Amino acid sequence: MKMNRFLSILLALMLLAGCAMAEAPGIKPLTDAEGATVSMLAMNSWYSTVDLADATLLNEIEKRANVEVEWNLIDPTIYSDTVSPMLASGQDLPDIIQLPDTDRNMTYLSTGMFVKLDEHLDKMPNFAYYLEKNPAIKASLTAVDGHIYYVPQTVVADSYQPVMMYNMPWVEKLGIEPPKTLDAFVEMLRAFRDQDMNGNGDTTDEIPMSIQASFLPYMFGPAFGMDPVSGFYADEEGVVHYAAYETEKYKNYLTFLNGLYNEGLLEVEFTSLNRDQITARFANDQTGVTYDFSWQMSNLYSAQYPSYQADPSKGIVVGVPPLSGEYEGAYIGRNDVSGVFGVNVKAENLDLALGFLDAAMSDEAQDLYVWGMEDLTYVVKEDGSREYLPRCTEDTIWYQGLGINAPNMPSQQSAEATAVLLADWHVEAIATQEVPYARRPFPDVYSTEDEVSVISMYLTDLTTYVDERAVAFICGYASIEDEFDSYIETLKAMQVEELIKVKQAQYDRYAAAMQ
Amino acid sequence: MAQLKTRKHVHPSNEHKTLGQLIKRDKYLLLMFLPIFIYYIVFCYLPMAGLTMAFQNFKMGSGFAGVFTGEWVGLKWFKQFFSSVFAWRLIRNTFLLSFYSLIFGFPIPILFAICITQLRSQKIAKAAQVITYLPYFISTVVVVGMMTNFLSPSNGIINQIIKDMGGKPINFMSNPRWFRRLYVISGSWQSFGFNSIIFVAAIMGIDPALYEAMRVDGASRWQQIIHLILPMISNTVILLLIMTLGNLLNVGFEKVYLMYSPAVYETGDVISTYVYRQGIENKNFSFAAAVGLFYSAVGFVFVTGSNALSRRMTGSSLW
Repeated sequence: MKMNRFLSILLALMLLAGCAMAEAPGIKPLTDAEGATVSMLAMNSWYSTVDLADATLLNEIEKRANVEVEWNLIDPTIYSDTVSPMLASGQDLPDIIQLPDTDRNMTYLSTGMFVKLDEHLDKMPNFAYYLEKNPAIKASLTAVDGHIYYVPQTVVADSYQPVMMYNMPWVEKLGIEPPKTLDAFVEMLRAFRDQDMNGNGDTTDEIPMSIQASFLPYMFGPAFGMDPVSGFYADEEGVVHYAAYETEKYKNYLTFLNGLYNEGLLEVEFTSLNRDQITARFANDQTGVTYDFSWQMSNLYSAQYPSYQADPSKGIVVGVPPLSGEYEGAYIGRNDVSGVFGVNVKAENLDLALGFLDAAMSDEAQDLYVWGMEDLTYVVKEDGSREYLPRCTEDTIWYQGLGINAPNMPSQQSAEATAVLLADWHVEAIATQEVPYARRPFPDVYSTEDEVSVISMYLTDLTTYVDERAVAFICGYASIEDEFDSYIETLKAMQVEELIKVKQAQYDRYAAAMQ
Repeated sequence: MAQLKTRKHVHPSNEHKTLGQLIKRDKYLLLMFLPIFIYYIVFCYLPMAGLTMAFQNFKMGSGFAGVFTGEWVGLKWFKQFFSSVFAWRLIRNTFLLSFYSLIFGFPIPILFAICITQLRSQKIAKAAQVITYLPYFISTVVVVGMMTNFLSPSNGIINQIIKDMGGKPINFMSNPRWFRRLYVISGSWQSFGFNSIIFVAAIMGIDPALYEAMRVDGASRWQQIIHLILPMISNTVILLLIMTLGNLLNVGFEKVYLMYSPAVYETGDVISTYVYRQGIENKNFSFAAAVGLFYSAVGFVFVTGSNALSRRMTGSSLW
């Protein structure tokens, strides 16, 4: 009890100290010694041909902090599978660790492997400054025991999210307004299917819609009044529901998709479709609708068209507002914190590890992640604003290899810096067609120990079952008429209601913390 | 094939030697054996200590020390597994997948071996043998990749043929009804040539005088197969069958993992893939250990059972 009071006073003092800091502290040399090292386990670049072990911008941060990082970088596609067993063994772990997930079940932090950062904020001025500036993120990083264990990596949550995109020349060829409702949308798909949209004389080579299965819930869920992406969602009264357990809404949703499938509007292959295949279809002008991260509309899909290469002022594959049905459409974004970094309690030189993580978090470092360095990636114009050099867009591999938006550092994505790299019409589409409709998913909340035991016991089996039944219902392997009721019964037997209770408690905690 | 111990046998020269003398005499042999011994200790026996995890609540980061420090929870994880709606399905899928592989996969190499040995032209027989056992050396990833390509509903060759004949394309890889068939067919395609080698050898080993005697008595080729070849190779067949039975529950994890998706979990999800998902992906290490232990226990019953069966029926066994 006494300890707690002491801690809270300490925390209050720190907060005060934080308030006093008007300006970002920046990166300072952490040691005078030559050749001081910190070991760090983190993700490598998402570009498979890029290795971040010797990235120019990250080296710059190391130089300014006078620390050398011994990297252990792991391919992001296998990061979780590789790192969870390493953490489970607890042996030979480096000083700074990027966790395989945001640890909302407190799997890792409850083991005492990670330093309570809030007790060391005096050594982490930049992080303290950041927390003070971002109270919402601070709330979401505070674990159930009141401590902060992790330094966050954040993403832009409202823009650059998955959106629906139409092949605009096709829509114009039909002479219609881009559909905003489910009915108009289905009409358009039928036209795409039956007519010779690409004008090659063959009416059968058009694939109306190319969408990866994982995006279906994004695309159609909101129109049926649910958020099947997060699974659990809170309605306006703050009551938590589980999308796949909504007898009416979810049934309608499945029936609709089953209808699309039967009509050939949702292709037979949708469960195994990938982005490369979709790109190839756009290159052949064979498909009319897709759903993907909005980033892709100019840089990937429109870029497949020679006419766009010739005149990039107007997009070909362009984002549109979400579909509405009985309910108003929305785009489901994501939560700010996308990854977290912790400091190993067994770190050889704790101060150095804390210091480096803090330096990597500083605004000075963020500026490097976003802009790079003067004359390397950008120039300062006469009016003082910055402009990226042409090589940044021309030579992606080089640009990524510098450590831009470093996935292995606590980098904070910024929408502004990303927008600079995009075509004007693209930026406008994001601002007008995406951001106004963005909706947050179920909040990221730490679970208590009791909640964790319920979640780990039931949730995986439940989602597995929901996923496979969804495919079965959509493809007609199982009849919605006959088997939907027994499906709901099975969910009940799988303790879905226990889970909803847990999520409700979490949501209530979150809502309380936000007020 | 493992060595078969058919009878107790002591070499006369070993009778009056002490253990020390034996070691001294065979020191080089033992030295060569040492790496294998170490391998088994390190990779097969030491990890068994981790089985305690199945009865404990394993905490992240406790590592090997968790064996001693973990909190004991008794049969909690086993109860959780058997009360899960997936328990029965996983057991059924695992069993059926291997059972079908056995039923359809086992006779083919025998029939093939008989056909090959009946061919008059040695050249054709040799060529057929080489061609059929080459697929055995293709890695599983490549085989599954080939299947995905050939069976693709939009541009796979099989579906092109179906479409050209006026049929509707079938999404083979994500239809639960097709999973077992594809698994079994591709499996036996890959291995029948290789597995037939042992039967070919058995048939070649039959004394030519017996054929001649049959021919003199006017037996047709068919009669030769029924009354000479089959009885002569029946011992080999039974032995191999029994040994396969021992591995009945060993479905290839890699192949299932590469082939399946949530769409076909209904028939494709097996115990080993479930353990992988629960243990590695969802970090329920204790739960996964419990399920794995149950799986191994069933496998153990099969192996010892078939060994006993083999000893009784053929007089030879693995131990």
